[in-house]
Amino acid sequence: MGYTLSKEQFETLVNRLSEQYQVFAPVKFVGGNTFTDVDVIRYDQVKNPEEIVLDQKSDYSFKEVLLPLSETLFYYTEEQTKEADIPRGEAVVFLRSCEMHAVKVLDDIYLNNKFEDYYYKRLRDKIKFIVIACPESFDSCFCVDMGTNKPEGQDMIIEQQGDQFLVVNENPQWEAYFEGYAKVDQAPSYAKENKVKVHIPENLNPNIAKSSIWEEYDTRCIACGRCNFVCPTCTCFTMQDILYSDNGKAGERRRVQASCMVDGFTDVAGGGSYRKKFGERMRFKMMHKVYDFRKRFGYNMCVGCGRCDDVCPEYISFSANINKLEEGMKEVGEEHA
Amino acid sequence: MRNEYIPFISEITEVIKHTDIEYTFRMTYEGDVRPGQFFEVSLPKYGEAPISVSGIGDGTVDLTIRKVGHVTGEIFENYVGDKLFLRGPYGNGFDVDDYKGKEILVVAGGTGLSPVRGVVDYFATHQSEAKSLTLIAGFKSPNDILFFEDIARWKQHAQVILTVDCAEGDTDCHIGLVTQFIPDIKIENMDEAVAVVVGPPIMMRFSVMGLLDLGLKEENIWISQERKMCCGIGKCGHCKIGESYVCIDGPVYRYPEGKLLID
Amino acid sequence: MDINTKKLKKNAFRVTKQRGYTASRVRIPGGHLKAELLPQLQEIAETYGNGTLHITSRQGFEIPGIPYEKMQEVNEKLQPIIEATDINQPERDKGYSASGTRNITACVGARVCPYGCYDTTAFAQKIEKEIFPHDLHFKVALTGCPNDCAKVRMHDFGIMGMTEPQLDPSRCVDCGACVKYCRTKSVDALKTVNNKPVRDTEKCIGCGECVINCPTRAWTRSKEKYYRLVLMGRTGKRNPRLAEDFIKWVDEKSIIQIIKNTYPFVTEYIAKDAPGGKEHIGYIIDRTGFEEYKKWALKDVELSPKAEVNQRLYWKGPKYHTYG
Repeated sequence: MGYTLSKEQFETLVNRLSEQYQVFAPVKFVGGNTFTDVDVIRYDQVKNPEEIVLDQKSDYSFKEVLLPLSETLFYYTEEQTKEADIPRGEAVVFLRSCEMHAVKVLDDIYLNNKFEDYYYKRLRDKIKFIVIACPESFDSCFCVDMGTNKPEGQDMIIEQQGDQFLVVNENPQWEAYFEGYAKVDQAPSYAKENKVKVHIPENLNPNIAKSSIWEEYDTRCIACGRCNFVCPTCTCFTMQDILYSDNGKAGERRRVQASCMVDGFTDVAGGGSYRKKFGERMRFKMMHKVYDFRKRFGYNMCVGCGRCDDVCPEYISFSANINKLEEGMKEVGEEHA
Repeated sequence: MRNEYIPFISEITEVIKHTDIEYTFRMTYEGDVRPGQFFEVSLPKYGEAPISVSGIGDGTVDLTIRKVGHVTGEIFENYVGDKLFLRGPYGNGFDVDDYKGKEILVVAGGTGLSPVRGVVDYFATHQSEAKSLTLIAGFKSPNDILFFEDIARWKQHAQVILTVDCAEGDTDCHIGLVTQFIPDIKIENMDEAVAVVVGPPIMMRFSVMGLLDLGLKEENIWISQERKMCCGIGKCGHCKIGESYVCIDGPVYRYPEGKLLID
Repeated sequence: MDINTKKLKKNAFRVTKQRGYTASRVRIPGGHLKAELLPQLQEIAETYGNGTLHITSRQGFEIPGIPYEKMQEVNEKLQPIIEATDINQPERDKGYSASGTRNITACVGARVCPYGCYDTTAFAQKIEKEIFPHDLHFKVALTGCPNDCAKVRMHDFGIMGMTEPQLDPSRCVDCGACVKYCRTKSVDALKTVNNKPVRDTEKCIGCGECVINCPTRAWTRSKEKYYRLVLMGRTGKRNPRLAEDFIKWVDEKSIIQIIKNTYPFVTEYIAKDAPGGKEHIGYIIDRTGFEEYKKWALKDVELSPKAEVNQRLYWKGPKYHTYG
């Protein structure tokens, strides 16, 4: 059961939510992309409901709301530390079905991978999710094959239908927002088909490292890490210590998002590093997304949003890479050496 | 809930110099800790580095730190009485119970001796708890030898083969790689004998191959991995190998599991 | 045959090697045209010329092999092209009305090129509207970025696109890409301090490599578009030389004003015996001194505080002959 809202009523709804929550949504930053006069769509706190971009996929994912690109953990002096304040209060985030599935991935790593992450949890505890329904798939999406096309666990789903909005509320606390609105018996749409199809071979195993399918990426990839930074499920970070004074006796420790594609990701103190070749980094990322994570948590990490394809300056397609795995396994065989 | 990222203060109670660039810092620490585990050691000016526990005392832990990179460089300016921020201990570490009553062979390369020092020391001290104890320790040169006094003490109760990659001046130790001494090790019960291998990746690979050739069983070999670790708690992703996070599932692995992990 | 070659040249035709035949020169300001104009050029070339077209070094088309008596007919055929390229024209169906100030050329710029810092063609067309037609010999060229693919340093007025990189520190993860690419592809104007890039604003040339290579949108382009204006480069027989920097971080309006201000300066100081009434502006400035030129050039120009003006310019280049 849902409600049909006019555009005005929808904006009223967002405004009412804004009274109680900080509302985050994909927003257009005019001229904010790499090239001259090209816009970028990324997440920001919404000041006006009209800013919310509903008809395009955001270039950067919602994850920045839960995992800021740069997050201060604590401040220190010589012998004392002081935890950083939470950067925001109660929040609502507009996201898509694939990203709703990515929330589960972030939760498993940050809450269920042996330790609970204090900083993630305090932001996670104060967030509600509104899914922007995708009646049609975007060009690079492959959510259907990754099983993430139907949203799960959200508080609300909205679907723009011409001048109107179908709104399905799944959070009982929000029912008050809909008093007086007529109910309709309509379920929100979801993408039932993608142009891009992927197949992860059942026999995939770490032997794939020996395949020649990775070699092309040694020269094609430039190890810039864009694929990781836009990915809603990439969660790696690096610690930074920032000095406030020359003598280094006061400062702050931050964590910033990190990329397994970028140089230095594996550097150890003695000067050693792993995966020097970019093809090896592609393989590492690929295996995490469609194999390693599944071995650990029971389902695939990649949610098929296709942002990595959209952003790659070298036109490397992750989904095309997935579809090479089968050939790769034929080449190397399943037996571990 | 607990904020694992906030470090605690630990005081340096003693500094032991091994080489020009390698020191052991004895730090105050109350709590459970195993050899092979590690602490995230930080200095406000530079940041954190994972350092494995090289010794466990009464209310102290030993952290053997090699002066490489700017993180660990700063620590050398701190001396007894100074304080450091620590987090941990993290990782699984070694369980000496796994080796009790058996022929034990420890193969260590360079600073790889730090994480196993506790294991060697335990059985060198509790000789009745092992059938035999053999240590093959390799260093780049005589000047790089760690725990020299410990090694001298262990020699009284264990077979110790000390080897250097190249000769520099007078030394009574062997010259060559640790791997070349493995075939000569006398093992009575191949099915029961256990081995621990810690060191640089190539050294570990060839050592394990040597041990398997010798006749040891895969499941009786343990290795310890060194990877970049920013968080120590399975979040930052730098140490992930295959499906495993070295910081929480390792750094110590039984070989049948460890061999499946591809960087 | 009685032809006034002075008039013919002004009308963008030329005296060619082949007696009795001329060539028509069609200008494409900013070098970008609608493809639909090409069949019209083809028709002129095939009907009146020898069926060939030369793509000129100043982004025009030269239609050779036209009998002199066909010039008026060709001018009428050129009318839709002149209109489509939005060229100032005092009288319809009479072709181009002056050829002293040369076609304003531009690299492909931000319409296509990832490095382009602005729409070079649009700016070229804007300048075109302001200064054409004119008999004085002015050469203006625009290029999208400091790579200078348009070779604007060989022009009287060279305009290079710049962007002023804006850093959002909260989006920077210290991946090092900007610092690396600035060092390897540009001028090494970035260094990392406290895990963030710091830009040496004196060194920075506004090329945008940091923005292009930033994977997180920590670096973005300034809303304002900036330019480097370089002056008095030239080719030619006597003293070819590269243009020298005049103003860094200058705005569009000021550039147009400076170019316009240069016309009365040239009118005042041009050599009275200049062959064909044409003289490279640079030679004129060589005589008057740069100080005098600067007075004229900056008249009524309101530069923004960001603009960095070089007070003295010194040109180099081989001197095969000293004028005068």
